[in-house]
Amino acid sequence: MTTMATPTQPAPTKPPAAQVYNPKSESTAVKRIKSTIFHVVALALVAMVLYPALWMISASFKPNSEIGGANNALLSANFSFDNFITAMEGIGGVSTLTFFTNSLILAVGAVVGTVLSASISAYAFARINFPGRGLFFGMMIATLLLPFHVVIIPQYIVFQQLGLVDTYVPLLIGKFLAADAFFVFLMVQFMRGLPAELDEAARIDGAGHVRIFGSIMLPLMKPALISTSIFSFIWSWNDFLGPLLYLNTPEKYPLPLALRLFVDQTQSSDYGAMIAMSVLALLPVLVFFLVFQRYIVEGVSTQGLKG
Amino acid sequence: MIDRRKFLGTVALGTASAAFLAACGQSSSPAQTGSADNPVTITYTWWGNDDRAERTRKAIALFESKNPDIKVNGNFSDFAGYWQKRATEAAGGGLPDVMQWDLSYLRDYGQRNQLLDLGTVKINTDAFEKSLLPSGQIRGKTYGIPTSTNAFAVYYDPAKLASLGIAEPDGSWNYKEFNAFLTEVGQKGNGTLFGSTDYTGVWWMFNIWLRQNNIQAFTEDGKLGFTKDDLKKWLNMTSELRGTGAIVGEDKVTQLLPKSPFGSNVTATEVTWDNFMAGYLADSGAKDLKLVPVPSDDPDNLGLFLKPSMLMVASAKTKNKDAAARFIDFMVNDPEVGQIFKTSRGVPASKTQRDGTTFEGTDKLVVDYEKSIEKYLKDAPEPPIVGFGTLESTFKRVAQDLNYGKLTVDGAADAWFKEAEDLIKQNA
Repeated sequence: MTTMATPTQPAPTKPPAAQVYNPKSESTAVKRIKSTIFHVVALALVAMVLYPALWMISASFKPNSEIGGANNALLSANFSFDNFITAMEGIGGVSTLTFFTNSLILAVGAVVGTVLSASISAYAFARINFPGRGLFFGMMIATLLLPFHVVIIPQYIVFQQLGLVDTYVPLLIGKFLAADAFFVFLMVQFMRGLPAELDEAARIDGAGHVRIFGSIMLPLMKPALISTSIFSFIWSWNDFLGPLLYLNTPEKYPLPLALRLFVDQTQSSDYGAMIAMSVLALLPVLVFFLVFQRYIVEGVSTQGLKG
Repeated sequence: MIDRRKFLGTVALGTASAAFLAACGQSSSPAQTGSADNPVTITYTWWGNDDRAERTRKAIALFESKNPDIKVNGNFSDFAGYWQKRATEAAGGGLPDVMQWDLSYLRDYGQRNQLLDLGTVKINTDAFEKSLLPSGQIRGKTYGIPTSTNAFAVYYDPAKLASLGIAEPDGSWNYKEFNAFLTEVGQKGNGTLFGSTDYTGVWWMFNIWLRQNNIQAFTEDGKLGFTKDDLKKWLNMTSELRGTGAIVGEDKVTQLLPKSPFGSNVTATEVTWDNFMAGYLADSGAKDLKLVPVPSDDPDNLGLFLKPSMLMVASAKTKNKDAAARFIDFMVNDPEVGQIFKTSRGVPASKTQRDGTTFEGTDKLVVDYEKSIEKYLKDAPEPPIVGFGTLESTFKRVAQDLNYGKLTVDGAADAWFKEAEDLIKQNA
């Protein structure tokens, strides 16, 4: 993302000597042409990638009968905020703000849980030599290979028997128990890249595992922690199936469930309100991403570094 | 749309574990009764949009005020998600007490003993058409009570026909006349307005044509009641219209998704269920749309029937059978509930409820249409066979390929029959 800006910088030039043949100025011209072509192509690609988003934003201001179907125009003469008003009114007596709050609770819960549990588990796998470590590590990786759909029903039965359906527990407990093997793996790999001399030094100074983890590992792992937070926030924010299965009361629904309620095959569908709500639902993720995006790049690039 | 494969997979898995669980713990819990001070709570779940959620909330409030000893917890989701959730709950033994149900899923869940036999509880069905009730019954047991009905119809937009200078149809037509009508619309529409989508690709229209020829689509024992030649004959009905202005091209149909060509003002007519009216009006922005009966080569036998647009069912494991029955009875029979829902669930099936409801505007059009075809109505078909949803979507798919020119009529019939026979063998 950030590297795209580099070619724009004008090539360093000396004051041009007019009318004299100068190979350097020609190469500047060639460079300029190349840079122009690059930018035109890049802009065309960006336009292609961003078109759906643009379509969504423009559709959110159009009346329902002008969305989709044979209507291709981005702009409508009937520009209005009605869709946003409908979307904010909520569904079946539940206000849209409730859906937002629920989504936020779930997403923040997921971030906190994942960061805490995955980092501790990763520390154990990367730094403590306990019996069966290889086996457990392999088993953890194996859970990555298990498709989610295979475990839906057994999991549902467990939570059903425990009476935890229609609470947030089934949606969050896994996050606090490091059930997301992907994040544990990510952090283990990161920690293995940190020099072991650091914790050996700390041990000589009398630090135990808690101290080493808290004072040495955690601060060094910041990039990995941030990548984890970003991904788990976005995944939780967009999760549909989990809340669909485990939540029954509309007052507990997060946004993805609410979004679908504007569209109904057997009756009339309010695409306008659905799209308006999608635009609103996108904002927090967008803000979250913009605030943390430089850390994503940092997190991924520093993972390759060896001490 | 719902992913059938995924759904079937979940159901299959679900039933396996459900059977296991049922074997483990056959707990018989005593029936609970509530009082005004200490009401029993039942859960009711439905699919639908925010409009239905609002109406259902009102109906529940009314029920609770009339029955202070019962509290109803309502919850809802969208149609596709609804069935994923039910499949999982059925596996976990946790289906809600009362559910809104779709005909296509009745046999699946009924045969697996997930649904309560409503013949064993007290629900008043005196005000129902006798021809309608069998659609909620499987092998003599009543699993579902229809809330409302819908019937098949040809929709048209009078304004569009007028702009082309075509007279409005009166609905007494045979297939030749219907085809000629579509061709005329196509010719005068000149590439901007088409006649209709390919009606031979609609399963229920095929089913109606079979009934017009006195053929049953499925036999009592769940096999196919028609031959490959019947299907070929049917698919050949529009072979001369495909690729002309009479039938809108499949590529165009796909471009318009999620809206239908009729809802996008690209076709002048459409053949489908009469309860789609509100949706079409909202999608197209048309001022008014009209309904006429489907074509038939036998003017006395239109093959039409009332189908439950949705049913009410109860879970076989509900602990409050009595309360569940009272709630179902209330939802299908009470005239005030009719006033709340109007035709948003379809035309009320119970006469008490229908007569107690005042219909206006669009609602009236649909009710009047169903009244106008009353003399042609015959028994509703039995609940579709297990896996019917797959058959229906395959039917649509081969018809699409036919319109794309990827399959011939013979090829399309072969493809569908192969899939249908495999499926029936699997479920036998």
